[in-house]
This record gives sequence, C-alpha cells and structure tokens, in this order.
Amino acid sequence: MDDDMLKGKLVRLVASDPLGEAEAIVRWSANSVYRRLCSTDVPLQYSTKKYKEWLEKDAEKDPPPFNFFSIHTLQDDRLIGGISLDGGAYPSGETFVGIGIGDPADWGQGYGTDAMNVILRYAFEEMNLRRVALDTFEYNPRGVRSYEKAGFVHEGRMRGFLNRDGRRWDMIFMGILREEWEARNR
Amino acid sequence: MSAQLFRGELVRLAAVDPDEMSKAMPRWNLDSEFYRMLDSGPQAMFSAKKVKEWIEKDLEKDPAQDMFFCIRALADDRLIGFMSLFDNTGHTGDALVGIGIGEREYWGKGYGTDAMRVMLDYVFNELNYRRLSLIVFEHNPRGIRSYEKAGFVREGRLRGMMARDGRRWDWFWMGILREEWAARNGGGARGGD
Repeated sequence: MDDDMLKGKLVRLVASDPLGEAEAIVRWSANSVYRRLCSTDVPLQYSTKKYKEWLEKDAEKDPPPFNFFSIHTLQDDRLIGGISLDGGAYPSGETFVGIGIGDPADWGQGYGTDAMNVILRYAFEEMNLRRVALDTFEYNPRGVRSYEKAGFVHEGRMRGFLNRDGRRWDMIFMGILREEWEARNR
Repeated sequence: MSAQLFRGELVRLAAVDPDEMSKAMPRWNLDSEFYRMLDSGPQAMFSAKKVKEWIEKDLEKDPAQDMFFCIRALADDRLIGFMSLFDNTGHTGDALVGIGIGEREYWGKGYGTDAMRVMLDYVFNELNYRRLSLIVFEHNPRGIRSYEKAGFVREGRLRGMMARDGRRWDWFWMGILREEWAARNGGGARGGD
C-alpha cells in the first residue's frame, strides 16, 4: 500500500492537462505513421482547439467515458503519450485499454510496456476488474510485442479488416484475465 | 442479378415502422433468453415510448448512421424480428451485423439464416463491402450454427468477456469475406445459380 500505484519503472501516469495534451496530440498526429498505429480512422488533422474541446467535454462527463491518463517519463517529467481505460459501469468487470506513445524517438524504449504494466495493476488491484482487452493491427508488430510482454494473449484476428497502402490487414484481438495477471505478479 | 434483393426463401427485409416496432420490441424484451442473446449489457426494460423515440431519432439522421430493417415471414407477412448494420466505416468496407428473431416459434427453423443470406447479398452485391463481421456469445450455440451455415468463419474468441449466472462467458468474433461469399454463390449473387 505504500507504493504509488500510478508510478512504474520508467513512467508515471498523471492527470491530463487539456491544453498541453491537445498541443502534443496535434504535434504527434502530424505524423501519419503514428495516427495509423492509433486508429482505423482516416487520419484527418484537427486543430489544438478542437482536441482541447473534446478533452474538456470528456472530462466534464460524469461518469467519464474514458479514464484517461497522460504518460510522463520519470527521468525528466516529459509528456510522451496517453493511456486510457474505457469508462462506464463494468457489469462484467471488463474494459478496453488504448495507448499511444507520440514521438517516434520514444518508441521501442519500454515506455509503453511500462505504462501498460502500471494501468493493468490499476485495473486489477484498484478497480478490481476481471479482464482487460485491446485491439491492434497487423502492421504494428512493435505494439504486439509490447502487449505480449505486458501479459496479453492473442485471442483472434479479424481478417482483412483494414485496407491501407493497397492491401488488406488484419485486426488483432488481445486480452488478459485477472488470474493471468496475478500469476505473473505473484 | 437477384430478382429481388430484399426477398429470401422464408423472409423478407422491410423498412421499420416505428409504431409497430415499438410495440413488438418491449414484448420481445420480456423474454430474457432473447434479450441476453442480443445484448451484453444487463437486461433492462424499455417502454414503447422510449423505443419509438430511438427509432425515430435514428431515422432522422442524414446520412443514416446505422441501417435498420424489420424481418417479415413471407408466408403471412408477420413481423418476427429485426436486423441492423452498424459501425460501417466507408473506407474499410466493413460493418457489424446484428440480428434478432423476437418471436420464439420462429427459432430453429431457418428464418434467421435466411434473413442473414439476404443481408449478405445486399452487403456484397449492392453496398460493395469487403467483409461483414458479427459478435455472438458462447451461450448462443443456435446463433453460431446459423452464422456458420450462412458462411461466417470464427475469427476470435474473447475469453470471459461477460459475467452471467455466476460464470464467465466468451464472445466469438465471426466474419465473412467478399471472396468467400462469392465462392459460395458460384461467383455471383444469391439466386444467380
């Protein structure tokens, strides 16, 4: 109980500042590689004002549609990305996680895996959920490796779901059960 | 070409009449076995007024966000259920399909499978989608069999997504690709063989 449960080995999860977050998202989203890793949507470009409005509107809702955290490095307290759990009532103790590390210079450094470990601990030990799920795309092997490292198991593939760069790509479903997480962290 | 796009062998798909559907839905929802196959959320009761408002609000959207049809038995034109297409994102050419046969005496007799075949024909030969997806729960083996008969393939098993009756239940993701549908229908439309 003495440990700060939102602090990992490399990063910590902090409340989001709508303006700072919106500015960062606009900067990160200028890179279509990042946008395509995050979303199946056509990567449109939105203004800082628009993102700030969305973040503020979400934050006002009660209960919030997302439990959103900014990811900061422990070393220099720098904003490097975001992670969120879907909000709601959790009648089956199940939720969905989304994560993004914005700047390619911060990719492959273990920040995302560390943030995922932190949010899983939060989901299972504080929120007492039973299961956390995510989906990712066939062209994101770095993400898949990171999720596997955090303990996620492959649960299925939606064949040819995405059509990008002239070919079709699978959507990959992954999930982790509370028992699996406990077995890894005992 | 299919003679009639919205007509199958046992059923036809038709436009939704908000008055008629708002009377049928609350009655079907009293059947918790039906409701639990349809929806993952805790069962709730909705008034005819509420259902009518939802349907009317949905019909007003332009362009339509989701497509909603009622299923009618060909024999006597009775309203027996509904079907919807949602989460369709134009650029991926995929959508989710939902189906519910509310009248129990029509279960297990091929009505749902027939309606699904009509929908697949519409989706691939008129809307030109590339694939169609659905989610079905582990406690609905009748549904799974029906979707397999219509050509859907199991693509994933999301373990323990739902807690009901003191245990956890998996969700199955199923999908059918345009090529698979064409191969089952001799390369063309249903009824073209």
